[in-house]
Amino acid sequence: MGNKVLIIDDDHDILETTGSILAYEGFEIHSADSVERGLELAGKISPDIVLLDIMFPESKTQGFDAARAIKARYPQLPIIVLTAINREYAFEFTKEDIKVEEFLNKPVRTKKLIELIRLHTGPDPV
Amino acid sequence: MAPLARLDVSEYTNLNNVVRWLITLRWIAAAGVFLVLCGARIAYPSVFPLAVLFTLNAALALLNALFQIHFQAVKHGNLSKSELAVFFNVQICSDYLLLLLLLYFTGFVENPFAYFFVFHILLTAYIFSTGLVFLYVGGLVVVLAAGAAASYVHLIPHFPFFLGPQAAYLGELLPRTVGVCATLVISGYLGTSIRKRLEEKAQRVEVELDRYKSLDKIKSHFLLQVTHELRGPLAAVKGYHEMIDRGITGPVGSKTLETVGRATRRTDNLLTMIDEMIDYAYMQNDKISFEPANVNLHDLIASNIEALAPQALAKRIRFDVRCAPDLVVSASRDLGTIVLSNLLSNAVRYSPEGSSVTVSAVQESTEVCLEVKDHGIGMTPEEMEHIFEEFYRTRRAREMERDGTGLGLSIIKKAVETIGGRITVASQVDRGSTFHIYFPRREPGGQ
Repeated sequence: MGNKVLIIDDDHDILETTGSILAYEGFEIHSADSVERGLELAGKISPDIVLLDIMFPESKTQGFDAARAIKARYPQLPIIVLTAINREYAFEFTKEDIKVEEFLNKPVRTKKLIELIRLHTGPDPV
Repeated sequence: MAPLARLDVSEYTNLNNVVRWLITLRWIAAAGVFLVLCGARIAYPSVFPLAVLFTLNAALALLNALFQIHFQAVKHGNLSKSELAVFFNVQICSDYLLLLLLLYFTGFVENPFAYFFVFHILLTAYIFSTGLVFLYVGGLVVVLAAGAAASYVHLIPHFPFFLGPQAAYLGELLPRTVGVCATLVISGYLGTSIRKRLEEKAQRVEVELDRYKSLDKIKSHFLLQVTHELRGPLAAVKGYHEMIDRGITGPVGSKTLETVGRATRRTDNLLTMIDEMIDYAYMQNDKISFEPANVNLHDLIASNIEALAPQALAKRIRFDVRCAPDLVVSASRDLGTIVLSNLLSNAVRYSPEGSSVTVSAVQESTEVCLEVKDHGIGMTPEEMEHIFEEFYRTRRAREMERDGTGLGLSIIKKAVETIGGRITVASQVDRGSTFHIYFPRREPGGQ
């Protein structure tokens, strides 16, 4: 089985497409459609990496709060932010940089995403 | 209330410039008086007390010289508002006094130059509040009337302007005084009310401008929000295309694959347009603060070429890059990306299949010149005059690529100007276009 990828996004279509494509590439996929559910899953399954959206129905920047919470509990767990808003624009909401490993704009190219997941998780466990 | 400190010039007028203007006008007036006196000395050598008049003329010039020296000495010509108020009052008072004295020795209200007070009053109305203007006008009218009355009863000597009999002067004294005084009061009224109207107009313009600015801000913010929101659904659409394309959803025939390929291409076009609109809204946002940083041009080119790889691959377009790996420019990563991504994306879109795009950068004495050369559709000289205008697309560009916003080059130009660089273009129809971007070189000692 491949590395465990936890995807947190409120858009079910994104969960389905990104999840299916990454599963097809051999990753073990776990999905959460809310930040609460994502944090709960993170505790249960100990993922190797988190793909995190920023804008959630609750707030435009809930993803940043989630990133902070994840980093506080699991400092070694890498996070790739996948969002429709660009980084500078996100700063207008948060006024602070968020310490995440990568910040990618949707739609992201699969090749690039897989490269970055491999970069931050190392080779797949056998 | 300190009326002498009540300056009431509209905010749109730079008071320091008004001081400079007053001093210049006074030099002209002093020169004019000097010429008139020289003329009088030749034409009427024995009529006027010329020694006194030349002395007054010299006093005017001397005072103006003092004003100028004072103005230049104090804070290099920048006075505070209260200092300016005192300075204006001293200047205006001395102007009134000197003209009054010049008139007194040359026939007083009998002298047609008495109407020159109109200019003083208009200047006063330009500078001071309505109350202070009428204080000046009232004071002047009282002094003129008192002077006329005193000369009528021979309390003070009269220096005639016309060489006619003294009786005629006395007979005309009342209507002349009334005429001069009425003119001064009316010009005071006209001067202040015209200024008030202009100020009201300026205020309305200011209010409108504020409204327009806030509307423009709302528009940019709206555009930014909407375009960001559009990216999410598009990401899902692209994801589903990819699932079909990779066979994740099950085996598909070649016809379906081709159809999905077309759908993907249009989706990519839509995404490019959305990104252009995001860049456009981002560049419109006056909050963007540009802090020049040292950006590695080689890396910037490489990352933007990589981002364009799918589109370039689909058209078999080859990038030929010539750039030293350590070439650094003064820009910002965001603005550099806006420039490169839009420029390279244009080159790919408007080049024929299988052609090449050359990207080269060389360091010149004060700038770094980036050249992007394609072998695409090119432009006519007439079209080149418009390409940096928002929403402009050439006819051939529209024919070749149906989808497009026509914002790309205007965004590039704005980003380049924000960086402090410049852009030039050379093009020939069917031969291709060459864009040159001149980036400022990085500051020596910078990190």
